[in-house]
Amino acid sequence: MKKFFALMVALLMVFSFAACAQQATEAPQAAEAAPAAEEPAAEEAAAAEPEAVIDNPVIRLSTTTSVNDSGLLPYLQPYFEEDSGYQLEVTSAGTGAAIEKARNGDADCLLVHAKSSEEEYCSEGFGEVRVPFMYNYFVIVGPDSDPAGVKNAASASEAFKAIADAGAAFITRGDDSGTNKAELKIWTAAGIDPAGQDWYVNIGAGMGQALTTADEMQAYTLSDKATYLASENSLSLLLEKSDEMMNTYSMIAVTPERWPDTNYVGAEAFIAWMTSEKALDLIDSYGVEEYGEQLFFTIR
Amino acid sequence: MITLIHVTKQYENRTILDVPRLTFESGKRYALIGVNGSGKTTLLRLIAGTLRPDSGKIENVPLQNMGYMPQSPYAFDFSVLKNVEIALQKTPQPAEKALAALEAVGLEKLAGARGNKLSGGETQRMAFARMIACPRALLLLDEPTSSMDIKGTDQIENQLLRYAVANECTVILSTHSPAQALRLAQEVVYLDQGKIVEQGSTEQVINHPRVESTRLFLQHWRL
Amino acid sequence: MEYLIKAFSLLFGSDPELRQIIGVTLQMSFFSTTISSLFGIPLGILIGSSDFRGKKWVQRINNTLMGLPPVVAGLIVLLILSRSGPLGKLKLLYTVTAMVVAQVLLITPIITGLTATIVSIRAPQIRETAAGMGISPFKRMLYTAYDCRVQFVSTILAGFGRAIAEVGAVQIVGGNVQFKTRVMTTAIMLQTNMGHFEFAIALGLVLLIISFIINALVQKLSDGQAENA
Repeated sequence: MKKFFALMVALLMVFSFAACAQQATEAPQAAEAAPAAEEPAAEEAAAAEPEAVIDNPVIRLSTTTSVNDSGLLPYLQPYFEEDSGYQLEVTSAGTGAAIEKARNGDADCLLVHAKSSEEEYCSEGFGEVRVPFMYNYFVIVGPDSDPAGVKNAASASEAFKAIADAGAAFITRGDDSGTNKAELKIWTAAGIDPAGQDWYVNIGAGMGQALTTADEMQAYTLSDKATYLASENSLSLLLEKSDEMMNTYSMIAVTPERWPDTNYVGAEAFIAWMTSEKALDLIDSYGVEEYGEQLFFTIR
Repeated sequence: MITLIHVTKQYENRTILDVPRLTFESGKRYALIGVNGSGKTTLLRLIAGTLRPDSGKIENVPLQNMGYMPQSPYAFDFSVLKNVEIALQKTPQPAEKALAALEAVGLEKLAGARGNKLSGGETQRMAFARMIACPRALLLLDEPTSSMDIKGTDQIENQLLRYAVANECTVILSTHSPAQALRLAQEVVYLDQGKIVEQGSTEQVINHPRVESTRLFLQHWRL
Repeated sequence: MEYLIKAFSLLFGSDPELRQIIGVTLQMSFFSTTISSLFGIPLGILIGSSDFRGKKWVQRINNTLMGLPPVVAGLIVLLILSRSGPLGKLKLLYTVTAMVVAQVLLITPIITGLTATIVSIRAPQIRETAAGMGISPFKRMLYTAYDCRVQFVSTILAGFGRAIAEVGAVQIVGGNVQFKTRVMTTAIMLQTNMGHFEFAIALGLVLLIISFIINALVQKLSDGQAENA
């Protein structure tokens, strides 16, 4: 028992040292550097365009699995890098985690799709503007046999109600992602609280795994269309293009207030390029050849 | 009569034993003598069947009625009594016989102790008790008293002689000591570098060796 | 520090999900370790204590399996239990049973290998002695196992430690389903990804505590063994 207690104390000390050390080094830096860093950053951003020297060529983009796994970003990346001279380092996770990375100073720019989380993040003062620039639709997919009759539903909430009434298995990502949040909104609209129900399977995973699991369990799930088309499974597309299922993507440049080494200039340059005519045309034409239909629709 | 014909054994491409022909008569006591690495242990293990020869054959070994005591016998994590008892699996009243054997080697007071807590000499005495706890046709003993003091050695030698005579048992033992060979064996086999150099009655080989190598080995002992 | 305080209040509070996750983890680890030991220890004794035809090949295969990456074990079990796989009819994918199966695949070779190593240290001396006493090979193996019993407990605990800390295979075949197949490691992954560090730390602490207890037990057992020798 004594040994055990000693270990716990030692563990506590290790953890608290680590935590204290981090706070101690953070605080002064942030206080001193923040005001100084802001102005030149804004100036440079304005003047950045043509032959300005790039201070920090690496932009850390934190985005969601749907944008990365659908192949959109890998498709745009070389064009951007060639045009701007920047280097893009992409990490992808659910929207919640993607935003958390920006909060922890591990990202310079966000490309996500959950309005309320984005607004919450901006209200904390670490992003000035949300730049919505494209959208697509969520789709409800499920087994071909469609035991709940989702095909006949007029709206997403009606479809969810049918699934709940039939007690048919439904996979929820449960990972705080944009898709997860959109799904929860639809349940609220349908007036159903599915949490804890037998048929409501929470797998805490990304879109790809959710589709695989739905396929294995012959269950329904809500997916973004691009990932559904890109993944291999036997699920059928049962409902799409309901208003509730519109999915808007935005970009936010992370301000250097909390983490002074954030590449704000680079993030601004990325956003400027992504909203250029050239990039928007590229986005609109993406996937047409491979899937025979447009996957993302730009907002101009 | 145990017979070895053209028996060879290699180890890492080196011949460690090469015996064209060797016989052991029933009821007689043999001593294998020679320096370390001369092949005594290999020869005993081949007869006991725990090692297979690379060539040749070994005939007429009473495997079902044999006791073999290796150089470093293992003591199981049982009581000393049980350690002896498990050598008597086909014998009636094993507990009584095991206790009698322990008395014969002077270990009866340790009968309840754990086998793996004995000293080296005590472990050898316990292992010897396993050998003499029931009648056997053949005993193979690999340096049975190597870890014992003089008193223990005396006791074991006396017990061995009494047991061998009473059971008309063939005994083959290896030893460093020509004196022990003189006390225990009727016949001696002198081995050197895996070959049988000289063999014959103990008295004749030890007191009147015919081969130079045997003479040197014995001279060393006499000094 | 803030995270740590929250983690402790979670740990000593009565968060039903945390308890449920710990429960599933212990249940899974217990069954996979038990089944792996039932296969692995007898096999290890056989490999470690006797010579038979093809022994070298069995050892080679086992050594390879000892290094099997967990995600590969997960993938194999996934393909077998998948709806389109040979055992899809059993509907075992995304159940604790599937996780146990994948872990048995991972842990059995480890227990077999460790057992064989332990046994092979004493085996030559025991074999020589037993042959000279007319003990049958079967009884010899029983006695050998009895003498190695303390080390076997350490082996089993090592297997348990591996089971409880493993993440790749259980994520793939368990699917991390909440209230069903979510275990400590997959929950830590998920909570870390979601930025819920206090929950992740609380689970991490439980894992550390369990592995500390296991190590202390192993230490105590091997100390006891040293005193006896």
